[in-house]
Amino acid sequence: MAVLPMQRITIYGMKKNRKAILEALQRRGVVDVTEIENDAFQKIDTSQSRAIFSKRITAAESAMEILKSYAPEKSGMLSAFEGRKDLAVDSYYSYVDDSDKIMQAINDVNNLSKAISEHKAGIIRREAQIESLKPWLSLDVPMSGKGSKYTASFAGVFSEDRTLESILADYGNALEKSGLSGDEYAVDIETVSRSPEQTCVFVVCLKKNADSIEEVLRSIGFAKPAFSPNTEASVLKKTLEEEIKSEQAEIAAKESKIVSYAQMRDKFKFTVDYYIMRVEKYEILGRIGQLGRTFVLMGYIPKKIASAFEAEITHKYDVAVEIDEVGEEETPPVLLSNNGFAQPVETVLATYAMPGKGEIDPTFVMSLFYYFLFGLMLSDAVYGLVMVLGCAFLLAKFKSMEPGMKKTMKMFLYCGISTTFWGVMFGGYCGDAIDVAATTFFGVTLPEGGHIIPPLWFEPVREPMRMLMFAFLIGIIHIFAGLGMKFYQCVKDGKFLDAVFDVVFWYLLVGGGIVYLLAMPTFKDMTGLSFTLPAVFGKAAVICVVIGAIGIVLTDGRSSKNWGVRLGKGLYGLYNVTGYLSDILSYSRLLALGLATGVIAQVFNQMGAMAGSGVVGAIVFILVFVVGHTLNLAINALGAYVHTNRLQFVEFFGKFYEGGGTEYKPFSGDTKFFKIKEDL
Amino acid sequence: MNGFDWNSLGIVFALAGAAAAALLAGIGSAIGVGMTGEAAAGVVTEDPQAFGKVLIMQLLPGTQGIYGLLIAFITLTKIGILGDAVSLSLEQGLLYFAACLPMAFVGLWSAKCQARAAVAGISLIAKRQDQMGKAMIFAAMVETYAILALLISILSIMGIK
Repeated sequence: MAVLPMQRITIYGMKKNRKAILEALQRRGVVDVTEIENDAFQKIDTSQSRAIFSKRITAAESAMEILKSYAPEKSGMLSAFEGRKDLAVDSYYSYVDDSDKIMQAINDVNNLSKAISEHKAGIIRREAQIESLKPWLSLDVPMSGKGSKYTASFAGVFSEDRTLESILADYGNALEKSGLSGDEYAVDIETVSRSPEQTCVFVVCLKKNADSIEEVLRSIGFAKPAFSPNTEASVLKKTLEEEIKSEQAEIAAKESKIVSYAQMRDKFKFTVDYYIMRVEKYEILGRIGQLGRTFVLMGYIPKKIASAFEAEITHKYDVAVEIDEVGEEETPPVLLSNNGFAQPVETVLATYAMPGKGEIDPTFVMSLFYYFLFGLMLSDAVYGLVMVLGCAFLLAKFKSMEPGMKKTMKMFLYCGISTTFWGVMFGGYCGDAIDVAATTFFGVTLPEGGHIIPPLWFEPVREPMRMLMFAFLIGIIHIFAGLGMKFYQCVKDGKFLDAVFDVVFWYLLVGGGIVYLLAMPTFKDMTGLSFTLPAVFGKAAVICVVIGAIGIVLTDGRSSKNWGVRLGKGLYGLYNVTGYLSDILSYSRLLALGLATGVIAQVFNQMGAMAGSGVVGAIVFILVFVVGHTLNLAINALGAYVHTNRLQFVEFFGKFYEGGGTEYKPFSGDTKFFKIKEDL
Repeated sequence: MNGFDWNSLGIVFALAGAAAAALLAGIGSAIGVGMTGEAAAGVVTEDPQAFGKVLIMQLLPGTQGIYGLLIAFITLTKIGILGDAVSLSLEQGLLYFAACLPMAFVGLWSAKCQARAAVAGISLIAKRQDQMGKAMIFAAMVETYAILALLISILSIMGIK
């Protein structure tokens, strides 16, 4: 349980070696590079290059997405656990040499995909044209022809189903109204097609009067079609169909070309990684300082590898390396180091906050409570076993799992062990599945409250009060452990008075209060405890409470010099005792969540048993059993996880832990697909 | 109303309590999970990788419905609608009814409030995926009160003689 000590590392080198050194640092991934804040050095603005690289990452990702839709990659259901593949440094360089060619292929794929969507749009456009030509297919002349020397001809549409007679009659009336008459305005109208929505007609008239005739026709509901080509409709339809075919051929050709790039998928992945690394490298490049032909890089490195790293890098490159102790005013990044048991919950700690400067690493103590509380909330032996086996299987199968995922898996493995333990203690085996199965299918008769496998300790469903008291006891231990951590922190910092004021007084007050309650006979009746402490303890407890309370009132406001303010603050501090009360009550969730798991499991078992014995009954039972318990495990494991976190973060950390450190993030390749690492 | 056996109403009240617990807490969770689901789907359109994280956030306000079911189920077992028949007095029926109320009302309300905290948490995850632990805790704070209500309902139902 420790925060690893850090050292400051400064690397001086020649500018001409800058690229090689940075790349080596990146692949090694041990130095957390900090920005140099000294005006004497020149800085490089790398934002433009980074923007270009980011664009290439996007291009490569979109090319991969396109490849995926045309040539799906085979991947197992559990591929999420696989982690990144290893890439040897040699193949890294051979890929880098190829990078221009790969980029070309990426652009090619993107362009092909763009072209395909254009072709597809073309097909849709033509199909729409064909659709609009349909009513005109029987017309054997072009819809908008030039006409002859004296005649004009044009196609048009009436918006309803009209007979030729009614159109002609309307035309005659309209002509009269507009004051035109005579043979010169005669028209020949031919009905091309009729449907309830529209009537398509073809009009022939004298050319010199064509405009005014059209005007009159418009007044009775005539309109020219939106699309009126000057070739025959049937001919045009054929042409369009030909064009669609050739578009389809184009699409097929381009698709197969895209598919042919599928063998380059790994190279595309590499490109994404390559530019991710370059973006990071250029970010680091912006942090280093340059002076003439030299450059300076500063950062932090864990103390235990610092000198080995110095030897490595000075051996291989022409650089000067300085390793110093971290100064008083600096806040180095935080890297935790814990044993295999506690390490998995580091991820939980990281979601809260890394330890601040000088703060102790609470991971180990937290891990003890973490597994314990999680198991207590889920408390079912079968569920625990499922978790253990599932996590163990994944850990064994995917050796190259990412470290974060590995920690989480290990954490749930340990939580599973604890869950199994509490399941055996409380007699939860998929709830009461064994009892239900035995009574329903094997005709076993159990006495009221009897079990095939009795709980090793007691059954919370039957004795909720006892479980509640146990939950409070756990809560008190947890909270007192938190106070203990504070005590340790104060002593470690040499603040002995603070240790007494902030911890010992509270121990006296809260602990005394609890002992006082335990010595009260009425409390025993209320809670159903099996014992009462002798009255002597009660008297001693009162003394402790008084000492603690007075101590808190006198010292809690010690930051103020004015005694009036100080006592006021102290009284307010004493009010905090209600906080302790609610903290302890908060552990009642251990009972509630434990009961939730057990009772919901019982509900499913009972539902399964409703179909009775017999073959059908057995099938129903198995179905309900599998679905129901999977659901119950999922929901309650989530609940246990969330509420264990809460108890740690609020009740436990609230007593001593502030956090606020930054995580140690060494300059490395935060790649997505490949792991490129070498020892110098 | 001569000769009306008031005690025959006992089972009616008890069942009404069980139904209210399942009903109101269930409604609350349905609303809550629906709200968070909308927000979660929005995040996944932008970033399909976040699915696992926002799914967990979506499930958080779902627990109240389960607690309601749990209370309803224990009540049904104790009043003999499931399992062996028991005779119930009017007083007992009303006691069961009252015992179910904390879960019913707190379940309804806390699920809605928790959903709002979870929706805010989902938008936090959308911007900063590494902050999921904190987003979850904000929503879990609300759930505390549902758990306390569950506890009182369970203890009351178990305690009714």
